[in-house]
Amino acid sequence: MTPEQIFSRLQEMIVEQFTVAPETITYETTFEEDLGADSVDLVDLVMGLEEEFEIGEVQEDELAELKTVGDVVNFLASKLG
Amino acid sequence: MKIIIDCMGGDNAPLAPVQGALAAAKDGAAEIVLCGRKDDILSAAGGALPENASLLEASEVVEIADDPATAFRVKKDSSLTVGLTALKTGAADAFVSAGSTGALLAGATLVTKRIKGIRRAAMGPVLPSATGKFILCDCGANAMCTSEYLLQFAYLGSFYMQRIQGIENPRVGLLNIGAESEKGDDLRRETHALLTAAHEAGRLNFVGNVEGTDAFAGKCDVLVADGFSGNVMLKSIEGTAKMLMGKLKGVFYGSTKGKIAGALVRSDLSGMKKLLDPSEVGGTPFLGISKCVIKAHGASDARAFHNAIRRAQEFVESGFIAQVEENIAWMRVENNP
Repeated sequence: MTPEQIFSRLQEMIVEQFTVAPETITYETTFEEDLGADSVDLVDLVMGLEEEFEIGEVQEDELAELKTVGDVVNFLASKLG
Repeated sequence: MKIIIDCMGGDNAPLAPVQGALAAAKDGAAEIVLCGRKDDILSAAGGALPENASLLEASEVVEIADDPATAFRVKKDSSLTVGLTALKTGAADAFVSAGSTGALLAGATLVTKRIKGIRRAAMGPVLPSATGKFILCDCGANAMCTSEYLLQFAYLGSFYMQRIQGIENPRVGLLNIGAESEKGDDLRRETHALLTAAHEAGRLNFVGNVEGTDAFAGKCDVLVADGFSGNVMLKSIEGTAKMLMGKLKGVFYGSTKGKIAGALVRSDLSGMKKLLDPSEVGGTPFLGISKCVIKAHGASDARAFHNAIRRAQEFVESGFIAQVEENIAWMRVENNP
């Protein structure tokens, strides 16, 4: 799966979870400031990613590093690569 | 009906939850499932369980120090995670816990899930007023809110007062710093507009902005608040009530004259104490979760747990969740122009 394909699927998931317009999601979009996500939202998203991308359980220290959409794309690309 | 009790959560666990659960089992209205460490539960139960009570074993305990958002994932064999998972799979109808509020809310949100379309689950304690009762929704589950969250809290509170408290057309007020519609910050003004639209469409009985003092005068049945303001209000009330009860005690025990007066009004005072006693209510449901999850006070004793289990029974039987599901379309900003 290419980073572009990962971004596209991730974008769909974010749009559904946070009810935002797809065009507002970029690699630089931050979860906390731009999407208003709290820690529960992030865990919710990550649980969805684990299921969607079949990457196994994301550890707490890995979760703490995921600040932007780009961080998640890179993280998933490394897991799937 | 089957109700799971988290026997490892709360300051007085496992004794208080187990004793409260056994008292509920004695009522016979529900089947009780005691979740937690087997040895601890059996010891608290005095060795054996009655016929309508069973064990659901879980070896770990979620502590207050654990990260609330991830505790249920890290401690997979905790009473919280095991109990909520059983609830999710349909093995029971309700889950009652006095454990960490944050961990329980995160677990309820992410294991049992919110009702589809609900943005945030809220906590709504029912408080006494001069003319009856009102629900304060939210009282602390969501410190940061949008107007859509507050619109949803209004519906959740309104359905709760209808279904569980039997109020036909609950009056919804928005907690604010003045009664006029332009009062407050952007969040309050946006929410006022949404609630007014819902009122004009005949879906909510919105009575406008309500100040804290007016809520206690009985001006509304549902007081909508963001979790930050709601929590400040709730804690202020608890503190004021505690202080006043202490002062009253001082008056009645401070002199012979006071003691005589105290003896004369003793039963009235005990009724008043009951009104303010959180153990009488026992617990409050997380409104907006797809299953019945009841949060009991951290300091709950056995009586409080018994009452919390009664709240779970009432909630399951009320049809509240189905009513929210049926009306979810009206709880979106885009449907309240």
